[in-house]
Amino acid sequence: MQISMNGTSIGAKPGQTIFQAARDNGIFIPTLCYHDKVGAAGKCRVCVVEIEGMNGLQTSCSVEVREGMRIQTRTEKVINAQKLVVDLLLSTGTHDCIACDQNGKCELQNAAYYLGLERGSLNYGVPEKDMDESSEFVFVDRNKCISCGRCVAACNGTVVNEVLDFKYRGNKVDIAFDDDLPMGKSSCVQCGECSQICPVGAITDRNSRGKARHWEVEKVYSVCPYCGVGCKLELHVDRKANKIIRVNGVEGAPTNDGMLCVKGRYGYDFVGHEERLRNPLIKNPDGTFRDASWDEAIDLVSRKFFEIKSKHGADSIMGMCSAKATNEENYTFQKLFRQVIGTNNIDHCARL
Amino acid sequence: MISSQISTRIRELAKRYPQKESVLLPALMLAQKENKNVLSKQDIGNVADIIGVTHSKAYGVATFYTMYNVKDMTGTYHIQVDTNIPATLMGAKKILAHLERKLGIKAGQTTPDGLFTLSEVECLASCGTCPVIQVNDVYYENLTIEKTDALIDSLRKGVMPDRKTEYFWGTTCNVLLKNRGLENSTSIGVYRKNGGYKALEKARTMSPEQIALAVKDSGIKGRGGAGFPAGLKWSFLPKNHGKPVYLICNADEGEPGTYKDRQIMEYDPHLLIEGIAISASALGCKLAFIYIRGEFDWIADILDKAIDEAKAGGQLKDMDIIVHRGAGAYVCGEETALIESIEGKRGQPRIKPPFPAVQGLYGCPTIVNNVETLASVPFIIEKGADEFRKIDFKIFGISGNVNKPGCYEYPIGTSFKDLIAAAGGVKGKLKAAIVGGLSVAILKADELEDLVMDYESCARKGTALGSGGIIVINDEWSIPELALRSMEFYAHESCGKCTPCKEGSRITVKILEKILKGQGTSADLANVERLVGTIKGLTLCPVGEAFSTPIRAMVEKFRPEFEKLLTN
Repeated sequence: MQISMNGTSIGAKPGQTIFQAARDNGIFIPTLCYHDKVGAAGKCRVCVVEIEGMNGLQTSCSVEVREGMRIQTRTEKVINAQKLVVDLLLSTGTHDCIACDQNGKCELQNAAYYLGLERGSLNYGVPEKDMDESSEFVFVDRNKCISCGRCVAACNGTVVNEVLDFKYRGNKVDIAFDDDLPMGKSSCVQCGECSQICPVGAITDRNSRGKARHWEVEKVYSVCPYCGVGCKLELHVDRKANKIIRVNGVEGAPTNDGMLCVKGRYGYDFVGHEERLRNPLIKNPDGTFRDASWDEAIDLVSRKFFEIKSKHGADSIMGMCSAKATNEENYTFQKLFRQVIGTNNIDHCARL
Repeated sequence: MISSQISTRIRELAKRYPQKESVLLPALMLAQKENKNVLSKQDIGNVADIIGVTHSKAYGVATFYTMYNVKDMTGTYHIQVDTNIPATLMGAKKILAHLERKLGIKAGQTTPDGLFTLSEVECLASCGTCPVIQVNDVYYENLTIEKTDALIDSLRKGVMPDRKTEYFWGTTCNVLLKNRGLENSTSIGVYRKNGGYKALEKARTMSPEQIALAVKDSGIKGRGGAGFPAGLKWSFLPKNHGKPVYLICNADEGEPGTYKDRQIMEYDPHLLIEGIAISASALGCKLAFIYIRGEFDWIADILDKAIDEAKAGGQLKDMDIIVHRGAGAYVCGEETALIESIEGKRGQPRIKPPFPAVQGLYGCPTIVNNVETLASVPFIIEKGADEFRKIDFKIFGISGNVNKPGCYEYPIGTSFKDLIAAAGGVKGKLKAAIVGGLSVAILKADELEDLVMDYESCARKGTALGSGGIIVINDEWSIPELALRSMEFYAHESCGKCTPCKEGSRITVKILEKILKGQGTSADLANVERLVGTIKGLTLCPVGEAFSTPIRAMVEKFRPEFEKLLTN
């Protein structure tokens, strides 16, 4: 269908919201609480627009497009409202971008930039709030929280871990883990969904803090090596140091839609670990190991298997597949055991 | 600790609701009452486990509503002094200051012996009988310094005095307050003897469409405050949806200056029950709810008893009514927040659309009507829509600086002057009045001269009839002070869901505080105007408008009073 936005005719799909249609057509409308995965919340009120024939301001995240709808995203009334909302947030939280890990990716920063607001003007005191450093992988700075509710919605509705909720009301509203425990003492499993979905720097990946800013890393798509689900990853790689700085799930990926488990998101230190095996090792008679080539190692293993088989029979050998391997690799592995070695002794550690 | 009796009671109560989570609010209150009026984290967790909700959800709910004491201790007697605008106008601050001196503690503190906790609370819907103190569950009204002393002395002896309330009231219409002065007016016998339940009998001979048509033809506008035609609201119910329909009576009377629904429920509960029964039959509803503010605990008991009588008397043949107590949240007067609250959630409004008529309680079509609206339905059915249009009765609650503050049932269209005369006239010199509950624009004395109390006339004056709660202000009061106290109320009651209300209300309080301290500048006053000017229409629910409209009007109409306080 065709709708008009700021006087220009653009295409939109039935069922889409005004915000989605604008985004598809490259028209920026600032938002803070909307996320594709958790839907419209109508909370931040920064995505407002004017629609011909409708009274007052409407939130573009919640109003669906209709054929011929005429929308204005940059009227004086809209900009004034958006400026007030962003001004209120800048004035009532501690939004220092300088060393913030979300710098360059922050949706509040984007909105402020779009509106030309460098700092808040309503300076009547900023309430001081907690920083929660109690958990191993997630850093929570409530001074930067804008109560958009994305983390709460994602924890309850997307990953269904049901750890997060809001406590208190009015301007005392804050996120709480279980019955207001430090994150590290709560039932949180550190999946990091809240960190990924947070639009600002309130919830960040603890071990990535200060390692590299978003524009300094190369984003590399990969598949999680841990289990057979095959979650799609976005590795943030510092090429100069040849290190993975951060791992995100890929939003919209059919396997995981951005979600990851604690291992997939935070268990990447093995990649660059100094104790990691880099080539095969063969045990010396005195118990120490020596470096070997792949050819030598495979020859040794194959020779030993056939010796065992000829001496004790094929059923004296068994194979354990790995959950870290793909379906195809596991299929090949059982073929090897059944066809080449000649045993059905195959099992699988469907755990990590 | 939650005893096995309470745990069983919670499980039993849960069975009454279509969804078990709905029992969370009453369950938390049961747990609190069993534990010296304190709700510990452990008990919140226990309640969550009994019901089968997460601890975070239960904790979020317990800290949302003000009646839950989520802290280490509360005094044996929780002295809660209402200091909202009507109460302030009628001397509540003096009572509070006296109590602070007498008990040797500040509001928010507990005496060292653990006997008293003193709190300053928001409107208790006793605006005609202020100053009012709620001690634990019990209201003590019309207080003076002497009566307050007697109350405290009695509590020190361990005796909760009987509550005696004398009201001023009057009616020229004899409908909603018809039974108000009768002995045993809450009993079904008295109600029937006085012609009650005849409308229900008549309704049973009518089709649902005929009943709905009568209500539509009457043109009755919702009496809660928004003034939306009730019949039109009913007509939004979808047809053939295959889901249950719920009717909710909104008895969360929380708009400062408003205490009219209470008169009906406390003195004529069967009138409301009859109205609900008739309306339910028109709407095809089998389960109705009365969502009553938690502070009205004793009124909820009256309703429960009346419902039992009505059931025993065969008045509720094929339906049930659940009295669901809130737990302290003004915003739950907003219909979607109210629905969330019945569902056992934090009382935060939903995005509209979908409107409740399409998707309301438990995702089903739901109609939410105010007490007074539903209590007017029996008259409409019995006497007909034409007769209703002729009288268009309404209860006006008059509070503040008048000689006989009280509830007066008069036709809509009565002049402001006549209503004030009914309330014994202004005490002192009239300065201004807020005529539709605190959330409407203030009118100056000269604007009130020729004011007629109907929807259109009020709109022409730039204000609203609202709930019909008239707050009269004499010339002893400073408008900036009242603006600050009003704003403190809205900031306290903001649910915190949307940014402009959550942050805007607090910032506006901060600026007004600065101005009242004599430290404000014209830039500060300009900030107030920017905030209230922009927030109107920007928030998720009407609460943003509820504070931006009155504060804007106060600044615009009494600007010299604000400017006098500025440093430049």
